[in-house]
Amino acid sequence: MSSVESVRRPPAARRAGEVADPVAAGAAPRERSAGVYWLPVATLIIGLLVTGVLVVVSHSQYVSNEKRLLGLRVKDAASLLAESLPATEASMAAAAQQADDTHGNVQRFEQLVTPQVGTKPTQWLTLSLWKAGALGNGPLAVVGVAPKLAASPAVASRFLGAAAHSPTLNVIGLLKAPSLRIGYAFANPTQPGGYVVYGERPLPANRQSRLQRTSQFAGLDYAVFLGKEPSEQNLLLTDRARLPLPSPSASESVAYGNTNLTLAMSSRVPLAGTLPKDLPWIIAVLGSLLTIAAALMTLRLTQRRRGAEELAGRLEVTANENERLYAEQRGIAQTLQHALLPDRLPELPGIQASARYEAGEEGVEIGGDWYDVIDLDGRRLLLVVGDVSGHGLRAATTMAALRYAIRAYAAQNDGPAEILTKISRLVNVSESGQLATVLCATVDTQARQLSLTSAGHLPPLLLSNGDSRYLEAEIGLPIGVQEGIVYRSTTVTVPPEATVVAFTDGLVETRGENLDRGLERLRAAASSHDVGLPELLGRLVSEMGNGHSQDDIAIVGVRWTS
Amino acid sequence: MDELEGQPDQLISFDVVVDGDDHATVRIDGELDMSGIDPLAARVDQVLSKGITKLTVDVRGVRFADSSAIALWVRWASAVDEFELLEPPPLLRRVIGAMGLADKLGATA
Repeated sequence: MSSVESVRRPPAARRAGEVADPVAAGAAPRERSAGVYWLPVATLIIGLLVTGVLVVVSHSQYVSNEKRLLGLRVKDAASLLAESLPATEASMAAAAQQADDTHGNVQRFEQLVTPQVGTKPTQWLTLSLWKAGALGNGPLAVVGVAPKLAASPAVASRFLGAAAHSPTLNVIGLLKAPSLRIGYAFANPTQPGGYVVYGERPLPANRQSRLQRTSQFAGLDYAVFLGKEPSEQNLLLTDRARLPLPSPSASESVAYGNTNLTLAMSSRVPLAGTLPKDLPWIIAVLGSLLTIAAALMTLRLTQRRRGAEELAGRLEVTANENERLYAEQRGIAQTLQHALLPDRLPELPGIQASARYEAGEEGVEIGGDWYDVIDLDGRRLLLVVGDVSGHGLRAATTMAALRYAIRAYAAQNDGPAEILTKISRLVNVSESGQLATVLCATVDTQARQLSLTSAGHLPPLLLSNGDSRYLEAEIGLPIGVQEGIVYRSTTVTVPPEATVVAFTDGLVETRGENLDRGLERLRAAASSHDVGLPELLGRLVSEMGNGHSQDDIAIVGVRWTS
Repeated sequence: MDELEGQPDQLISFDVVVDGDDHATVRIDGELDMSGIDPLAARVDQVLSKGITKLTVDVRGVRFADSSAIALWVRWASAVDEFELLEPPPLLRRVIGAMGLADKLGATA
């Protein structure tokens, strides 16, 4: 019984369903297109929200800081204002004291106060001396213009009467016509019911007065009110044409004689400088720009990623197509390879022959490996295994030429050595760049003899009784190296039921591994299997190459049945 | 004359130096198989056509050579008067020996 075991892979099927459906391939990117925008939009929204929060925070920080600074300024200003009071009080107190001491000596009074009365802003407009018990009679003496208060005796007696019993400086309030004045009254607190000094000071005509530019309060708007109510009718002084003061403003009341002065201020310029004021705007503009830039960048990256995904999709389609073409080409190569190998092996009594051919992992091209088993005379077989260097059609045609030449010389009854000597003329490495290793052996089925000739080929393996060894024969040069070379054969006798396996280097060669290790692995594997010959060859191929041999493998074996 | 060729994905690089009137040295590194030998063969043929009669092939850096690579060296060996395969690594020497080419290729230890 003889058989040819070979791995034939069906030609790669090309069915419509296998080709990537372009509609389906295009659908995925369209489904994703809505997703392109959500990330940039989210970036935009989040960025604007963050910007808005920063703007609000920085603005409120600015406002509270301004308020605090304004409050400090107002306190400073108010205390300065309050400091002017003792001077006012002092001049009146001196006059009141003298009047008490001199029992209302008018000349002495006039003498004392005249220098203090005048038209300068720092001077009194008028100072007058009144007797506490006879207020209705009018002033005892007047220096300067007629006091406005004297025009209405009822008001004068009510007001000055109250002042006579008050220990502090009395501020009457604002006197409007004919010019704005503020009225003060003072009576010596140690002499109640004695003399009362009354004076009026001018206010600027429209109650407007500018602070000096060099003043520490330059840049501030202010309004001074008499009393605690900052209302228009209580207004003493302001630098503004209109009230109320612009927001933000701060106010502070200080005691002023028997009443209070209220100072209100607002700032024309940011007290902490312009940066904190402008900061919210800067943040708003920069934040918006950055947000827009980030959103655009996100959009671009998203689009680019989508582009990459689409490209990957197309590449996948291409890869599938390549894989299909690869499988197809591989199928063609293998079909051709098998066409160049024997369909069936001869069947002779007393011996079993089997062979296998396995294309390598990278085998999209036809290889140069071959095997042959030729019936010489019904009793002897010629066992051949060979390997033409390289791949492709050139290797395959050389292989076919050698294979059929061997068959022809075998038909002429030439022995292995003669056959190889003759075919060495068919290949010339200097011309074709090719050489071939060939192992040729006559197998005598009855004498159990093997006559081996090797042209640079790996030795065959002999298996017998669970033991295995390589049959060492003289190794001649490969075919094609030297024209006219004469090969010699070696004859060995094998034990009964022996198995001889010949193979090409693809079976034992692994990149980076010493050939001897591969040969040893094969030897060990061969002796571990006690199975039928076709099964043995199959196992050796799958175990040695682990199913992933890079190179093509041809393996042929004979087993004596007795 | 000095050049470096080969492609990275083919794991092979080579360098051909003409270092005498009639001598050239070919240095080969990497894994040399059928897919990578064409540029090397063309380059050396170019040198051989200029009257080189002595060729040293430095294969110390060769990790793998298939039968087409060995066929190439045999062709070079046939084309020059003196050929030396310089210090092939043990793996290579074993393959060359298995093919019966140790003498032909003048493989030195």
